[in-house]
Amino acid sequence: MATLAHDAHTPTQTHAEVTRDVVNTLGTAGRGYFMLLGLAVAMFLVGAVTFVALLKYGLGLAGYTPPVMWSVYITTFVFWIGIGHAGTLISAILFLFRSPWRTVVYRATEAMTVFAVMTAALFPIIHIGRQWFFYWLLPYPNSRYLWPNFKSPLIWDVFAITTYFTVSSTFLVVGLVPDVAAARDKMFGWRKKIYEIASLGWKGTHEQWRHYTRAYLYLAALATPLVLSVHSVVSWDFAMSLVPGWHGTIFAPYFVAGAIYSGVGMVLTILIPLRKALKLEHMFTEYHFDNLAKLTLFTGSILFYAYAMEYFVAWYSANKFEQTSFWLRAFGPMWWAGWTMIICNAFVSQLFWFKKIRTNLTALFVISIFINIGMWFERYVIIVSSLSNDFEPWAWGQMNPTWADWGILMGSFGWFGMWFLLFARTFPVVAIQEIKETIPWPRLRKGGH
Amino acid sequence: MTDESTSEQIDRRKFLKVLGVTGGGALALSGCSTDRVTKLIPYLVQSEDQVPGVATYYASTCTECHAGCGLHVKTREARAIKLEGNPEHPVNAGKLCARGQAGLQGLYNPGRLKGPKARAADGSFQEITWDEAINRLADKVGAARGKIAVITGAAPGTFSDLLSAWTTALGGQVVRYHAFDHEPMRAANRQVFGIDELPAYDFAKARYIVSFGADFLETWLAPVEHQRGFAESHGYQDGQMGKHVAFGPRMSLTGMNADEWHAIRPGSDAVLALAMANLIMSERTGAPADANGLRGVLAPHTPEAAAQETGLPAEAIKRIAREFASAKPSLAVAGGVGNQHRGATELCAAVNILNYVAGNVGQTVNFGAALAAGDGYGSMNDLAKRLDAGEVTVVLVHEANPIYSLPKSSKFSGKFAKATFKVSTSLFLDETARECDLLLPGHHALERWDDARPRRGVTGLMQPVMQPVFNTMATGDVLLKVAQRLGGPLASISAPSFEAYLKTAWQTQVPRGSDFDTFWRGALQRGGVYGSAPATPVRLAPGAQQVGYHKPAFDGTETAGDFIFSAYPTSMLHDGRGANRPWLLEMSDPVTKITWHSWVEIHPDVARDLDVQEGEILRLTSPFGSIEAPAYVYPGLHPGLVAVPLGLGHTEFGEYAKGRGVNALDLLNGEAPGGFLPYLATRVSVAKTGKYQRVAKTEGNVRQLGRGIADALTLEQARSGVAPALAEKAGGHEGEENPPREVAALKGWREEQQEEARLGAYAQDFPKWAMVVDLARCTGCSACVTACYAENNIPTVGPEQILRGREMTWIRIERYYEGGESPGEPLETRFVPVMCQHCGNAPCEPVCPVYAAYHTADGLNGQVYNRCVGTRYCSNNCPYKVRYFNWLAYGQQAFREPLNLQLNPDVTVRARGVMEKCTFCVQRIRGAQNQARMEDRTLADGDVVTACAQACPSSAIVFGNIKDPGSRVARLASDQRGYHLLEDLNVRPSVTYLAKVLHEAEG
Amino acid sequence: MRTLAFVGGGALVLSAVVGATTLGGRASPHPAAKDTTIVSSLTPGQIAKLPGPRQPIFFRHDIHAGQFEIPCRYCHYSVAVASEPGMPTMETCMGCHLVIGGTDSIAKAEITKVRKAWNDKQPIEWVRIHTLANFAHFPHQRHLKAMGPMACLTCHGDVKRMPQVYLVNKVNNMGFCTNCHMQRNINKDCTACHY
Repeated sequence: MATLAHDAHTPTQTHAEVTRDVVNTLGTAGRGYFMLLGLAVAMFLVGAVTFVALLKYGLGLAGYTPPVMWSVYITTFVFWIGIGHAGTLISAILFLFRSPWRTVVYRATEAMTVFAVMTAALFPIIHIGRQWFFYWLLPYPNSRYLWPNFKSPLIWDVFAITTYFTVSSTFLVVGLVPDVAAARDKMFGWRKKIYEIASLGWKGTHEQWRHYTRAYLYLAALATPLVLSVHSVVSWDFAMSLVPGWHGTIFAPYFVAGAIYSGVGMVLTILIPLRKALKLEHMFTEYHFDNLAKLTLFTGSILFYAYAMEYFVAWYSANKFEQTSFWLRAFGPMWWAGWTMIICNAFVSQLFWFKKIRTNLTALFVISIFINIGMWFERYVIIVSSLSNDFEPWAWGQMNPTWADWGILMGSFGWFGMWFLLFARTFPVVAIQEIKETIPWPRLRKGGH
Repeated sequence: MTDESTSEQIDRRKFLKVLGVTGGGALALSGCSTDRVTKLIPYLVQSEDQVPGVATYYASTCTECHAGCGLHVKTREARAIKLEGNPEHPVNAGKLCARGQAGLQGLYNPGRLKGPKARAADGSFQEITWDEAINRLADKVGAARGKIAVITGAAPGTFSDLLSAWTTALGGQVVRYHAFDHEPMRAANRQVFGIDELPAYDFAKARYIVSFGADFLETWLAPVEHQRGFAESHGYQDGQMGKHVAFGPRMSLTGMNADEWHAIRPGSDAVLALAMANLIMSERTGAPADANGLRGVLAPHTPEAAAQETGLPAEAIKRIAREFASAKPSLAVAGGVGNQHRGATELCAAVNILNYVAGNVGQTVNFGAALAAGDGYGSMNDLAKRLDAGEVTVVLVHEANPIYSLPKSSKFSGKFAKATFKVSTSLFLDETARECDLLLPGHHALERWDDARPRRGVTGLMQPVMQPVFNTMATGDVLLKVAQRLGGPLASISAPSFEAYLKTAWQTQVPRGSDFDTFWRGALQRGGVYGSAPATPVRLAPGAQQVGYHKPAFDGTETAGDFIFSAYPTSMLHDGRGANRPWLLEMSDPVTKITWHSWVEIHPDVARDLDVQEGEILRLTSPFGSIEAPAYVYPGLHPGLVAVPLGLGHTEFGEYAKGRGVNALDLLNGEAPGGFLPYLATRVSVAKTGKYQRVAKTEGNVRQLGRGIADALTLEQARSGVAPALAEKAGGHEGEENPPREVAALKGWREEQQEEARLGAYAQDFPKWAMVVDLARCTGCSACVTACYAENNIPTVGPEQILRGREMTWIRIERYYEGGESPGEPLETRFVPVMCQHCGNAPCEPVCPVYAAYHTADGLNGQVYNRCVGTRYCSNNCPYKVRYFNWLAYGQQAFREPLNLQLNPDVTVRARGVMEKCTFCVQRIRGAQNQARMEDRTLADGDVVTACAQACPSSAIVFGNIKDPGSRVARLASDQRGYHLLEDLNVRPSVTYLAKVLHEAEG
Repeated sequence: MRTLAFVGGGALVLSAVVGATTLGGRASPHPAAKDTTIVSSLTPGQIAKLPGPRQPIFFRHDIHAGQFEIPCRYCHYSVAVASEPGMPTMETCMGCHLVIGGTDSIAKAEITKVRKAWNDKQPIEWVRIHTLANFAHFPHQRHLKAMGPMACLTCHGDVKRMPQVYLVNKVNNMGFCTNCHMQRNINKDCTACHY
C-alpha cells in the first residue's frame, strides 16, 4: 500500500470538492460492496438460527461447563461494549478538546459506536436461561409488587447500555442532519425525496445553525462521561463479585482503558479498507492514522500496566485464592489464551513507538487485527479462566466452546457489519460540514459558533 | 401409619385412580410453566387412608438385597413416591442406603415387562393373557413329571416356603441362588465352629475393627446395619473413638474409612490373620481355654513369616495385633466378595480363629442370627450339570439372573438352553428372561403381599401400597393358580390368593392371648415382627486344627507384565441388579466418582510405567476372555493389581442397562472348584488400544490445597479442644478455646430480624434453620444423595452432560486426598457432603437481578424457580458452587413414563433455564409449619427432618432450628470441632461441619 | 312459557335469599330449606346463557349448597385438613342420588348420568375451573382455619348462587394472592408458596 502523501495536515480541496467527494460515496454501489453485505447478512443469519436453537432447546447447546456459567456470550458482550468507547471518545471528548484530527474520522467512529452498542445490547437477552422473561429485568409496575433488584450489577448494566445507546445514537443523528441536507441538494428523483425527509427540513439558516451547534456541544458534553461510566459499570459485573480474578478495585479504569484500546483497534480495522473503498485517501491521511496509533499506544501502555498490576497484587495480597487463580491463568490449562491476551495487547501495541510503523497502513491494519483478537481473549480469559478455578477445588472444571458459541459470535459480527455497510452507503461517512470548517474561511457574520 | 388388613379395602383400592386431584407437579413436567391439570378426576370410592394432598405411609420391607431393611413407603394420591427407613426395624433403624431407596425406580422402571408373554414359533415374544399363561405353565409342569428345577433369589419367607412346597410336591428341586452368597464364610464357620450360618456382627460394640477385604460398608451382609454400628464405634464422641484398620489389595469405600489401610499382596491375608492370632496367643492371656490347643497350629505363622508373604513390615503387624488384642471388644471381619480369592475359606477360618483368641466370639460376633443365605455356588453348578445332562425339562427362574451373574466361561446359558421349557417371573426382560419361553412378570415388592426373614427373629412384611403399574401378577398367586388347576400332588397347596396363604402361615405366629386381627394389624403397622434370636454359643470344632495358609493359586500362567485381576462389587450396582436404575447409574461411585460406565483402575506407578493416561481404553485379557474399558488411575491399589467394578455390561435388562459398560465377570473362571466363585483369582495382561474415552466423573481437584474445606483434628487435639482452624497451623495451640459456633451462625441475625419486625414485614419471631455435618461419622456412602434425588425431583442428566460437569446433585460428596504423595506416606481420604450452605450473608442474593435468590425470614437462602430468568450470576458468585442450572429440559427425558409417577407433588419440577439448589427441604419445613399451625402448637425439635438427614445411615447430618438452644443442632453447632467451609469469606453459612478426627499415625 | 320464567325468576330470588342467610353451609331455619321440591328449574335457554364452562354433568351448586344448604366440606371433604380440597367421590354422590331422582326432566337426565357413571365404575371428568400453576402451593386448610366460613367465598365467589360455577377471581394471578396478604399484613415470603 502506498505510503501517504506528506503534509496532508491542511486539506487542499475546496468546499465544493469536499461535498462532491463525500456525496459520491453514496448512491449505487459496486459488486464488491454487495458481496460484503451478503457475507455480513449470511453471518447474521447463522447467529439468528443459533439463537432460535437456543430458544428451543436451551443454553445447554453452548459449551457451558459448570463452574463456568458465563463464557463466550458475556465475553462477546463486553467486547462489543468496549468497541463502542473509542467512537464516543473520538467524537465527543476530542470534540470538546477541539482536536483537529478528529473531524475526518469521527462520523465513521460514531456510527461504529452506535452499531457496536446495538450488537452488545443483544447479549443480555441471548445469554439468559429464559430469554422470554427478559423484560423482568426492567422496572415496571405490576400487581405482584415485584421489582428488579437494584443492588444487582446486572440491573446497572441494563441502565448503562440503554443510556449509552440513546445518547450516542442521538449524537450521531444530530450530527448527520446538515450533511444529509448537503447530500439532498446533490440528489435527484426518489433519492432526493428520502434525503429530504431525513434532513428534517434543514435549510442552513442562522437559527438552525445556532441550535445545531449548541445541541451538538451539549450532546458531546453528555456523551463524555459515558466513556468512563458505561464500561466502569460493565466492569463491576465482575469486580462486585467474590470470584478470585474478578474481585479487583483496579477493574473500572482497567476496563475503560481496554475498551478504548480495543475501540481504536476496531476503528483502524474499519477505516483502512474504508478509505480505499470510498476513494477518500486524500481525506484520511497519515496525520489521522498517526494520531489513532498514538492513542492506541497510550491505552495499550495503560493495559500493560494493568496486567502487571493484576499479577503483582495477586502475589502481594498473599491471598491463596487470587494467587492460584493467576498462576493458572498463566500456566494452567488456559495458558495459551492468557498469553494471547498479554502479547496481543501489552506487547504488540508497543510497536507504535516507531513512527515507521505508525504510518505504515499495512502494519497498522495487521496490528489492529491482533488488537481485536487480543481484546476478545482478554475478556475470555478474565471470565472463563477465573470461573474455572475459584474457591472450591472439587468444583473446578474447564469448558470448551461449541458451535452454539461460535454461531452467536459470528452472528454478532454479521449484525454489526450489516448495519455499518448499510450506513456507509446511505449516509456520509465523513462529516462534510465539519471538514469545511477546517478549511480557512472568511467569516461574514458574527454568531454561528 | 395406616394398615390394609381386610381384603375388602384392597378391593376398594382397586378403584383408586393414579390420577389424583392434586395440582402438584406430579404429571405436568413443564415445571415452571403455567400449564396445568385441566381435568378433575375424582375417586369412585373414598378410601380411608388416602386424603388428597396428604402423604400416607405404609410399612414394608426392602428387597434390594438380603439384609431385609424395614421400609416406610411414602405414598401420595395412591402413588409410592419415596422409600424411607422404618425406625422400628432392628436392622436399619430408620436409615436406608442408596440402593434401597432406588427400589422405587425398579417399581416405575420403563424397562418393566407390561404383561405375560410367550415365545412364538419365530422366536419372538408375544403378548398373552394371564389365564393362557397359567394354563401353559400348568400343562408343562404337569407333563414334566418331576424333571423340574426352580432357581430363586427370593429371601427366606412364606413365599420361599410355598415355592419349595410347590416344587417338591412336583418332585422338582429348588436352588436358592444369590450371586454374593459368602460361601467361604459359611464353610469357615462349619470348619472352625461347626456351625453352618452367617453370624451377626456388632460393629457398634467393637472398639477396634480389622477388615481383611470385607467391604462391610458396601455390599457385605447388611451394610446399613454395619454403617450404623461403625458410626457408633468410629464416630468421635466425648473423647472416645474406635479404630479401624483395613487390609486388602484394593482400597474400597470401607478401606477409605479406615484409619490405616495397608495394601497387601493379593491373597496373602490369611497368614496375616494367623500371625496376629499367634502373637496374641503367645503374648496375651484371656483367650478361651480351648484355644490353647491351637498354639501348635499357629506357631509357624510368625509375624516375620507374614511380613514375608504380605509385604508389610513385621513391626506393623505386631503393633496392630497388640492394639487389636488390647481393645475389648474388637472385631475382625473377612469374606468380602471383592477379596474372594482361592484362599478365601482359609482366610475366613483364620479370621474366625483371630476373633476367637481375642475373645470376640459372642461379643461382637454373634451366632444364632443366621443371616439369610442361598444354597451356594456349588449347588448352582450341580444344577448346571443336571441341565447339561438333560435331567431337567422345566426351569422356573424367580428373582435371579444367573445368565448374567455367572461368568460366560461357565457356559451356563448353553446348559440352560437344554431345558425344553423355561419360565421367568422377572419384572424385566433380563439376560435370563430373554432365554426363556414363558414370561410371567411378577409384582414389584411394593405391589404385592409378601414377607421376608432376613435373619432369625426378624420377619418383615410387605403389603401392596398401590395398584400394580402394569399387568403383572404376584408369583405366589401364579403358583397357587397352577396348583388349583393341576390338583393331584399340589392339591394340598390351596388358598384363594397368596394373601390368604400368607395370613394362614402367620396364624402360627400369633402370640398367646391376642387374636389374629389385632396381631396382624399391629404387624402391618410396625412392618413385621421383630424379636432377637437366642445367641448360639460356639466352641472350637475339630476342624479348627486344620487352619493354615497356602499361597492362593491364580488362573493363567505367571508372566512378566501380568496383573492380578480384581472384579469387585460397588455399593451402587451390587451384583448388577442396580444397572437399570438411572439414580444409581448417575450416582457417582463413592470411591472413584465415576458415573454411567465401566472403568479399569490402575496404580499411578503402573500408569507411569505403561504411560497410560486417564481415559485411555485398555484391553484386559485373561485365559477366559477379554474386556475393554477406559483407565482410571487410582492410588488405592496394590501395584500388582488391576480392578474393574462388577454390575455393568448387560446385554438385556432394559434400555438403561443394555450395552452400557463391560461385564468384569467375562474375565473370570466360571468352572472354578471350591464351592464359590473366586472374584480375585485371575491373571490378566493389560494392552493399550490407543483409543480414548473421556471418563464421565464428577471428580474435580482431589486436593483441597490447604483451603480448610475438609478439616481434621488428631485425637489428642480433639480431646484438648483445639479449633480446627488452629489445628491447621502447625499442631495448633494446646487447649486454646474455640469460640462458640452458634455465635458466628447467629451473628447479626437478630438485628436483621428486628429490622424486619420494625418494618412490619414479619410479625413473629422466626426460627433459623441450620445443619450440622459430622465428618467423623460420614462415610461417603452417598445415601443422602439418592434421598435428595427422590425428595426433590432432581433429574438425572446422563453421561454426556456429566462430561460437561452438569450433574444436578443438590448435595454432593466431595472426596479429598491427604498425603500419599511420597512413597510410604499413608493416603488419607476425607469425605465432605456439600449442599447449599444457606449463608446468612449470602453472595448469591445481591447479584440476582430479579430477587429469585433472596433471604427468607427463617434464614433460608430462598430460590424462587418461577422468578428466575437464568442469568447464572448467583452461581458465579457462590464460593461453594452448590447451585445447579437446568441447561436443557432435563426433566423431560429423566421423568419419562412411568418414572414420572415417582415425582413428589410438593416440589416443583424445574423447567430449563432456571437455577436450582438445595432448599433445606423447604417443602418439609412448610408442611410441618402448616401442620403445627393447624394444631395450634409451635414446631418442636425434630418436627422437620431433611431427606438427607433422614436417610444418612451413620446419622452424620443433623438439621433443626439453631435459635432454639435446646435443639440438637444448636448443641452440636457449638461443638469445639465445628467449623465452616471457607470461613474467611465471612458469608456466615448455616451449615456447620464437625472436623474429622484422626488417630495419630503410628509405626 | 311466561309461568316457567316467572317460577324460575322467583326461584332465583328465593335461592338468593337462602344463600344470603346461610353462608358457609350453616343450617338455618328457613322455610325454603324445608321445601324439598326443586323450584328453580332453568330452561335450556337460560342454561345456555350461564357463565362458566359446561360440565359433563350439569351439577347445580345453587341447589346443593344453596337451597339444600349442604356444607361445602360435605363433598369437598379434605379442604379443612389438607392442601387439596378433594373432589366428591362417586360414592358421595350416590349416597343421596340412589334415592333422589330429581323432579324436572333436566335434573332427571343429569342424575341418570351420575348413576350410569357409578354403575360403569367410570369417574366423571369434571372440567377444572380454579387452577394454580404447579410452582405455587396453596394450603387450603390453613386458609380455612384463618378465615373461617367466609374462606371459600373469598376466592371462589358465592358458589351458592351459581347454577353453574365460573371463575370469579383470577386465582392463578399472583396479584390476587398478594393483595390479600398485603392488606392483612401476613406472610409475604416467596417460599411460603413457591418451592
